[in-house]
Amino acid sequence: MAEFELDCLGEACPVPLMKTEKKMAGLKSGDTLIVHIDHSCAMKNVPEWARKQGHNVEVEEVGDGEWDVIIEKC
Amino acid sequence: MAKTVEHYDVVVIGGGAAGLTAGIYCGRARLKTLIIEKALVGGLATYTNEMENYPGFPEGSTGLGLMELFHRQAKKFGVQFKLTDVKAVRLEGEDKVVETFRNEFHCKAVILATGGKPRLTGAPNEDKYLYDKGISFCATCDAAANTDKTVLVIGSGDAAIEEGMFLTKFAKKVIVSVLHDEGIMDCNEIAKGEALKNPKMEFLWNTTVHEFRGGEEHLRSVALKNSKTGEILDVPVDTCFIFIGYLPNTELFRGMVDMTRGGYILTNERMETRIPGVFAAGDVREKFLRQVATAVGDGAIAGYAAEKYIAESEMFESQVMGESPRIVYVYNAASAGDRELLGAMEQYEQCRCDLKLIKADVYKSNGIAQRLNVSETPCVVYIRDGEVVGSVACDRICPENIDALRRT
Repeated sequence: MAEFELDCLGEACPVPLMKTEKKMAGLKSGDTLIVHIDHSCAMKNVPEWARKQGHNVEVEEVGDGEWDVIIEKC
Repeated sequence: MAKTVEHYDVVVIGGGAAGLTAGIYCGRARLKTLIIEKALVGGLATYTNEMENYPGFPEGSTGLGLMELFHRQAKKFGVQFKLTDVKAVRLEGEDKVVETFRNEFHCKAVILATGGKPRLTGAPNEDKYLYDKGISFCATCDAAANTDKTVLVIGSGDAAIEEGMFLTKFAKKVIVSVLHDEGIMDCNEIAKGEALKNPKMEFLWNTTVHEFRGGEEHLRSVALKNSKTGEILDVPVDTCFIFIGYLPNTELFRGMVDMTRGGYILTNERMETRIPGVFAAGDVREKFLRQVATAVGDGAIAGYAAEKYIAESEMFESQVMGESPRIVYVYNAASAGDRELLGAMEQYEQCRCDLKLIKADVYKSNGIAQRLNVSETPCVVYIRDGEVVGSVACDRICPENIDALRRT
């Protein structure tokens, strides 16, 4: 159950989602990925995609307009 | 992985209009408040483009815009937000627990504002045209936009027929797709009679939705299938209204709080559920009208009630239940008899220096009385070493009887 991070700060859609998809594919069940984003569109589509896959998702607003999307692989 | 434990005064489950309003009231009352939202803050209202009924916005507002204002206001009062799913709750007892996949939130009061969602038909392309794109679930919201247009109503229950009749005041034609044989509808007989007489209403019997059709932008027609003949009928419409039921998000609370058969949470007018310290607000409640305006009212009451509940719990722990001997006079300030006895109680205390008198007025709130299991006033409860020893009520209240209680 390892924890990984993905820095997508400054990146616009659909880059954060594509990077997240790629990174998640390499993770094991129970592993956690924390994606750092500051693009409000990614704040919507990354969690939406992850939920559809059945992963556990949590979004945390770490600063004004800056979010951490925490995804636990199912 | 062990879950991180955090402590709050109030946890609100659901960040829609009701939850945000409850949060605003709790935050303003300086309670440490957390709102947990599983998708986007703003809830169902964010799916409505035009918000015309909500007071205070004569130029109208968008659902998303209005909810952003709610969100900002809650943040201003220090309300914390977590955007994730609630996995489990433990509501009984004083320490309540709300679990998400990474955290365990302990709190004194919980407000259930999980809302609900309209039931869908499940027909192909339905998801493409939801809300602003041609499929609506709210005649109150979208009737005016359909002035002189043709609309289709799916369903024949009370909501479908009543909303359908309301739509006839705006639309040119209201076509109703009914699952049953000709003349059979799920609504009440009065509504049925009125609807059948309405010249603007047209009924398509034995039909179900086969497919939603249209371009990228908007719904153009609905293909209905005749369940008897199998025939497909393409009905061109401007908007399709689906009224085949509403599903409250209450699976997590099943068996804990009281619900209707449909899963709506039952509360009293103070938004209290069966469990002390657990409140419900907004669309998730069994109620008459589900709108942002009514959700806001619910949220305000639930937030206020939660604050009162917490204050009362604290007062109960710190003042009512204590080690030194004390008597609690439970009375109703609105009753002349109860008020008269108040003076006598004060005198009684003055003559006994080892005894403390606590006055609990049920007129404002009966929380303390409930915790002491007192159902009628006036009543005197004797407490020693943090435990209730006994009580005397009504006509039996006199110095001799209280003295007797203290000797036990």
